[in-house]
Amino acid sequence: MSTTTQTLAGTSWKEGVKDAIPLLGGYIPVAISFGLISVQSGFSVVETILISAFIYAGASQFLFVAMAASGAPLWLVVIMTLLINARHIVYGPNLSPYLNHDKKWLPLMHGLTDQIFALAHARLPQLPEHARIGWYTGAAMLAWLSWIAGTALGAIAGGELTQRWPLINDILPFALPALFFVLIVPRCNNRLWTLTIALSAVTAIILKMLGYPNVAIPLAAMSGAVLFYTLKNQRLLGGH
Amino acid sequence: MDTSMWLALVCIAIGTYLLRLLPYIWMKRNLAKKQAEDGIDAMPTWLTILGPTMIAAMFGTSLVPAHSDMFSWLATGVGILITLGVWTRTRSMGLPILCGVVAFGMITLFFVL
Repeated sequence: MSTTTQTLAGTSWKEGVKDAIPLLGGYIPVAISFGLISVQSGFSVVETILISAFIYAGASQFLFVAMAASGAPLWLVVIMTLLINARHIVYGPNLSPYLNHDKKWLPLMHGLTDQIFALAHARLPQLPEHARIGWYTGAAMLAWLSWIAGTALGAIAGGELTQRWPLINDILPFALPALFFVLIVPRCNNRLWTLTIALSAVTAIILKMLGYPNVAIPLAAMSGAVLFYTLKNQRLLGGH
Repeated sequence: MDTSMWLALVCIAIGTYLLRLLPYIWMKRNLAKKQAEDGIDAMPTWLTILGPTMIAAMFGTSLVPAHSDMFSWLATGVGILITLGVWTRTRSMGLPILCGVVAFGMITLFFVL
C-alpha cells in the first residue's frame, strides 16, 4: 500500500490524465459541433474559443449561442444559461471531504464539469490525500484543453470534418455513457443502492426522451434520492 | 461581438465559476467548523446520496442515442452489456469503455453501411 502511495505521489497528475482519456471520446465530437454551430451563428473563431475556455459548460454554451443568435434579451440569456448550470451546486460539496485546504483548489473549481465530478467522485476517495490535487489537475486540464481544442477544430474545419467522417459524431460520444456506467456500477452492491441508481437512470432517460434534457439530471437525481429515503425508512420501520 | 454581448459572456463565465466554487467553499467551512466543535462528520446525508444519483442521472441522459431508432437502441444496449461484461472481469476503467465503444461502433456501422 505504501509503495502504491509513493508511486502515486510522483505521478498523480499522469494518473489523472490517464483516467480522463475516455472523456475525450465524448468531449471532442461535442466540442467540434459547438465550434461549428457557433461560427455558423455569427461568432468569430476567437470568440468561439473564448466562450469554450471561459464558460466551459456544454449545454449552456449551445444555449448561449442559440439565444444570442436569435436576438433574445441578454439578461434572459444570462439567466437561462446559469439556470442550466445550477446542477453544479452539489458537485463541490460532494467532493469537499476529499480535498485539503490548499488554495490551488479554488481556481481548479473552474474545471468541475459533470464528467470531471463523476470521475473525481469515484477516484478521489481511492487516492492518498497528497496525490489528489495532482490527479485532479491532470484530469481537469486534459478535459479543459480537449474541450478548447475540439472547439477550435470545429470552428476552423468543423464542416469539412463532419462531411468527411460523419460517423465520428455518432460513435465516439458513446464513451460518455460507458464512462458514467463504469463509475456508477460499483455502487450497485446492495438492493437499496441498485434500485436508487436504476430509478435515477431510468427517470433521466424518460425525461430526456420527453424533451426535457436540461431538467433531466437534477429531477432524476432527486427522484432517486427520494426512493433511497423511502426504502431506507421502510426498512427501519420494518425492523422495529 | 459588441460590448453588451461580451458583458453577457463575462457574467455567464463568472456565474458558472461561482456556481462551482461557492458551494465547495461553504461545505469546506461547514466541515471545518463541525469537526472543530464535536469531531463528527458534518457531511449532510442527502448530499452523499445526491452525488451518486447525479452520476446515475448523467448516465441515463447520455445513454439516449442522438437518433432514437431501434438500431441505435440495439447498439446502445450491446455497448453497455459489453462494457459491463469487461468491467466484471477486469474491474478497471479504460478497457471496458474502449470495448463498449468498439461494440457500439461495430453495431452502428453494420446497420448504417
